This record gives sequence, structure tokens and C-alpha cells, in this order.
Amino acid sequence: MSERVYEILFIADPNLGEPEVETLAAQVQGFVEKEGGAIQKREMWGKKRLAYVVGRHREGYYVLIVTSGPGSLVKEVERRLKVTDGIVRFLTVRVDEELRKAERRKAKRTLADEKRKTRPGAQAPRDVEVQQ
Amino acid sequence: MSSQANGDFRGIGRPRPGGGGGPRGAGGRDGGGKDGGKEGGKRFFFRRRKVCKFCADKIDYVDYKDIKLISQFVPERGKILPRRMFGTCAEHQRKLTEAINRARHIALLPYAAD
Repeated sequence: MSERVYEILFIADPNLGEPEVETLAAQVQGFVEKEGGAIQKREMWGKKRLAYVVGRHREGYYVLIVTSGPGSLVKEVERRLKVTDGIVRFLTVRVDEELRKAERRKAKRTLADEKRKTRPGAQAPRDVEVQQ
Repeated sequence: MSSQANGDFRGIGRPRPGGGGGPRGAGGRDGGGKDGGKEGGKRFFFRRRKVCKFCADKIDYVDYKDIKLISQFVPERGKILPRRMFGTCAEHQRKLTEAINRARHIALLPYAAD
């Protein structure tokens, strides 16, 4: 089984300071690594306004962690996220399949484009048999 | 006699799709025929064939994090509109819906705005 890729996006409490969010992110990364995941990317989006009120908060720090690892990782990491203070909400999405599909479609399209360009007589003149 | 009836029928039938396409801006062949009747407005104007934006821009993966893109398809009220409004193809509408729902969960988009 190949490795799966997950995106974990979570919202941290806006009352925390930047360094505290940093440690929180590191903590989450720790959860992931403990379950056999490898961090691919981490993005700190900073403080953003929420689209609606979540647990009395109107804003929050968004942190995105992209990781690869086994499927069993998700269950444990989500359980830990649930019990961690300072995390308002989180979302885990498996992305490898979708991205692979998108990649394949893109490759197919460029291939088709190449074919169309190199096809003999692709831009053949249309006024070949005009009789008057 | 038959030509007369035919003419009448067309007279009734025509204004509806025209009126519906107007307020939405995008216009469309089978556009907002249902809700258009109330608006009245312009009856005969040039209607462009709607094409799926995702197909046109060759977007294969509709990312829930790309709020700039998604919010183009979410009206102020925050609802997901039917396909006929934006002309998205079935496949991309499905992906769009998924993306909107994900974005809603993580508070990037509202469930309902007031």
C-alpha cells in the first residue's frame, strides 16, 4: 500500500500569541510523527476572521499541515486534536487520490494537445475544391 | 389557423428564458426560466452559451482552501446555487459542492449569512 497524503487544517484559539500557536503546531506535528507520518509542508496562515462564530470565537489562527502516512494515523491524530486545548476546529482531508487524478487528467490533456498540433494536415486549407 | 396558434405559442414561450437570464448576468439558454418571470426586464438580448468555468480554466482539483475561486460560486447569502446558475458541468459542480462543504466546516465560508 502506498502512502496516503493528508491535509490537516486546524484553527487555533485567537487569544493565544504567535509563539504559542507555533508550539501548538509543533505539538500537532509531534502527534503526526508519532503515528508514523512524515510532515511534507506546514503553512501558517495567521489570524483570520471566521465566517461564523465557532465556540464564541470570531477569529482564529489557521495552520495547515500536509503529511503522508498510514490511514491509522488519522484516527489517533483527530482524537488528540479533539482533546487538545486551544484548538477550536480541525479538518482532515485525504488528498493523494484526488491530486493523482488531477495530475493524470492534466497529462492526458497535454498529450492530446500535442497530438492535435502534430497531426498531419491539422490546419489543412479548406478551399480545395471550389467550383464555379 | 395553425400558423396563428404557432405564433401565439412562441410569443408566450420566449420572454421567460430571456427575463431569467437577465438579473443573473451570465445569461443562459435554459437559464433561470423558473424565477425569471417576475423580473421582466429585457426580453430579447444576446445570450451567451454558458460554459463551465472549471473546464474552461482547466482546473482539475477544486481546492477547498482556494476561497477566492470558490466564493465566486457562492452568493452573499452563502447558499450553494444550482448548476443552471453558473453553468458548471455536473462533474465540477459535484467537486465544487464538496469543496464548499469542507470550507464551511473550517469556517472559511458561512453556512448561512444574514
